[in-house]
Amino acid sequence: MRQHWGSRIGMILAVAGSALGLGNFLRFPVQAAKYGGGAFMIPYFIALLLLGIPLMWVEWTLGRYGGGFGHSTAPGIFHNIGNKRRFIRYFGVIGIFGPLVIFIYYTYIESWLLAYSFFALSGKYMAATTEGAMKSFLSGFQGLEQNQFFHNIGTAYFFFIITFCLNVLVIYYGIKGGIERLCKFAMPLLLVFALIILIRVITLGTPNPEMAEWSIKNGFGFLWNPDFSALLNAKTWLAAAGQIFFTLSVGIGAILTYASYLKKRDDVVLSGLTAVGTNEFAEIILGGSIIIPMAFAVFGPYEIKNIAESGAFNLGFVTMPLIFEKIPAGAVFGFLWFALLFLAGVTSSVSLAQPAVAFMEDEFDISRPKAAMIFGIAAFFMCQPAIFGLGYGVVDELDFWGGTFSLVLFGTIEVILFAWVFGMDRAWEEIHQGAELRVPKIYKFIIKYVTPVFLLVILVSWFMQDGLPTILMKNIPQENRTVVLVLRLMLAAIFIGISLGVWAAWRKRGRRAGKEILS
Amino acid sequence: MNISGWIFACLSWGAIIGLLIFCIKRLLKNNKKQDE
Repeated sequence: MRQHWGSRIGMILAVAGSALGLGNFLRFPVQAAKYGGGAFMIPYFIALLLLGIPLMWVEWTLGRYGGGFGHSTAPGIFHNIGNKRRFIRYFGVIGIFGPLVIFIYYTYIESWLLAYSFFALSGKYMAATTEGAMKSFLSGFQGLEQNQFFHNIGTAYFFFIITFCLNVLVIYYGIKGGIERLCKFAMPLLLVFALIILIRVITLGTPNPEMAEWSIKNGFGFLWNPDFSALLNAKTWLAAAGQIFFTLSVGIGAILTYASYLKKRDDVVLSGLTAVGTNEFAEIILGGSIIIPMAFAVFGPYEIKNIAESGAFNLGFVTMPLIFEKIPAGAVFGFLWFALLFLAGVTSSVSLAQPAVAFMEDEFDISRPKAAMIFGIAAFFMCQPAIFGLGYGVVDELDFWGGTFSLVLFGTIEVILFAWVFGMDRAWEEIHQGAELRVPKIYKFIIKYVTPVFLLVILVSWFMQDGLPTILMKNIPQENRTVVLVLRLMLAAIFIGISLGVWAAWRKRGRRAGKEILS
Repeated sequence: MNISGWIFACLSWGAIIGLLIFCIKRLLKNNKKQDE
């Protein structure tokens, strides 16, 4: 019997949980500060209206449509919208491959957050009081060096095992008993933690009385004061579109799978829009108000520029622990910060695991617990290169193929299939099945023309700027190239394996249909 | 924070809070209708 969501709020929280991740709290403020502050919000909102919201509706609609045919993953969904043309289902392989690859490294990073929330409470990272020492603490924890903080990778591995088992356990209990239950608990808790930290940030005032300029108010100014000249730079527009694309988790394949557990007459328009609203609330209001204003107030206007340039990772695991060391009750707030990021991470990672599990369930009639166990064993082995090859750029490489390339490509393919192969008139009708809100008619034009063109522009410009040099290994140090090459072979094997799975599933289906006709 | 900063922050916050309130209100209204 096919699984369904237990409640509408559970479904919305699960999709919002899938979208809500480290990007909301770390990537967004860095991008906004880097590309024009308040002015960044102009292209950001335009991209939200032309790219984010339409893609969210497309994925919800495609997912629900596929679910009606008993398919929860892209191969089956594309097979049905593509009038059962043989090759179209193979485009859907990206919708299982992408999330699986992200899961491989994301779970490991997620486990660092769990570890750091414990370190905050136990005071373990308090011994590192400078940026250099905190970087050393992180490297020791990751097993990249032996130092006074860590002798080996054992602690990191211990937290990885806990995080990994938690993910598999949630998947094991299924959509209603696992994912929905987790999100109903984790999402409100996450928002409460974020609100507590937000209140702490706003009441921080001027932490260093000798430096009157180093205030939270000026920190907000650093993020929000607009620099209109940034709007003349094409990079700002691309960065805003990229941020919208990545923050909403569209183009992964996870929302497609989640929406497939809806019933035929369930609304997708209002639910999809609510999921977008929840994600944007967490990003703009919570994410935009914590890290940058806090870092400005503690480190001042000169250091903040370097901090913002150092990237989201450094900000999360080096700058934030240092900030919590310097504020009253920092241990508690440090714990809340890392716990909130961990909760955001776990609600995302379970959604990344679900497409692969659902593929086994739907296409090979494997029971959910068995599919979860098979996934757990296979994914555990796949995670090992991310853990032990961190120093060789393995995580960056996985992020490139799973978290960037697959995403943009899959998003472009699905919107083209939806608007042009399925047909915009049918698509429009399908969107409005059971809809509790009419989509403005202009979106018929936007989904058909504007969103695909927007995505193609992002795809091509990203490919020229970052894609091609990375594929040609131009950015990869010579000493890491062998490891990266081996990893690419592993990824190619995974991709071919899933493609063979699609081929076998439809072969089996064809044989079964043949037998039914004969009998 | 200068005046334009305040304007951009308030408009962005307002737009998102407005969107969320609109969605939640509609969800509650429709749920109530279905219950009846």
